[in-house]
Amino acid sequence: MDRNQLIKWLKAPAKMGHKYSLHVIYFCTGCGIIEIPPSITSRWDAERFGIIPVATPRQANLFLITGYVSVKTLKPIIRTYEQMPEPKFTVGFGSCPINGGMYWDSYNTIKHLDKYIPVDGWIAGCMPRPEAIFVAVTHLWTLIDKEMANGYKKYRENYKYYRANQKQLYGKVEWPPLFPIEDKDEPSPS
Amino acid sequence: MKLLKEKLESIFSGVQVNILEQDRLIMSAQKDAVLSILSFLKGKGYTHLALISCVDWLEEKEFELVYVLSAYMQKDNGYTDKEKTNIILKTRISRGNPEFLTVISIFKNAEPYEREIYEFYGIDFKGHPRLTPLFLEREYKIPPFRKDFDTREYVKEVFDKIPFVENKDGKK
Repeated sequence: MDRNQLIKWLKAPAKMGHKYSLHVIYFCTGCGIIEIPPSITSRWDAERFGIIPVATPRQANLFLITGYVSVKTLKPIIRTYEQMPEPKFTVGFGSCPINGGMYWDSYNTIKHLDKYIPVDGWIAGCMPRPEAIFVAVTHLWTLIDKEMANGYKKYRENYKYYRANQKQLYGKVEWPPLFPIEDKDEPSPS
Repeated sequence: MKLLKEKLESIFSGVQVNILEQDRLIMSAQKDAVLSILSFLKGKGYTHLALISCVDWLEEKEFELVYVLSAYMQKDNGYTDKEKTNIILKTRISRGNPEFLTVISIFKNAEPYEREIYEFYGIDFKGHPRLTPLFLEREYKIPPFRKDFDTREYVKEVFDKIPFVENKDGKK
């Protein structure tokens, strides 16, 4: 362990724990998932950074969205994100979740992912190299240190607006709201 | 292959058959003859419907349906192995009245292909047991693979109108 970080560990052990044990759920959308097998296996060995892939969203706290998001895929993305325990961080991988990328005029691809769920960081590129994942992870560490990776707090505060955006896209959302919101049309959260 | 071409031209009227390569035959037919040609070819050993595709000819106001058939190797009916390979059958239907008959009675695996074409081109296949959406989540006024579907206009109307979520301090 780095001796310089001893003070940080004593000050905020939970935060340091979150930093160095990012359990990641890879959502295999689009083409970006092809970069994940080399990055978690021995060539780039993501476990050096404390990153391991987990099986279910209930165990994860880093959500990596790898590639374009179609209207149909957004639904499981939202539901996966809502199942993850807090604190949770989202990273959009590739240029497609940022602004549509090469699918900017597609009829079935959502252009801006951060209209529907909060995103803490972006990795630009088409495709980004596996090194870019680790640059993003180390950048995410500094964001967690400075308490700037607060997408999940933003989601809780502005849940009404996110929910409204999701509703505007789908017309009707089938799942119950994650947080209570004052709306007569909505069923109460179970 | 030449034998098959002669046979097809003699049995069905209004069929144009071209041999593209040694193992590839392309033919266009009137839409009334398609079902009988398909069942004829199936009897000749072309038992595998590889694909049904569709082309939108906007200026000619026609849809073109493309059936791709291929055969597994069999040594009967008087053809050698090399001659039984791929057949592409094309037919045109009117764009104003996009209707056609289903070919499920001949090839069972046509069902998802026809659902897909129904979804993306809006062609109604008569006799299909369930023409329900297969891939798409939203409903479109014009089926999205038609040439007169303006994707940029659609993006402006739907995706660009959804606002960004802003924080309390007004930042994105």
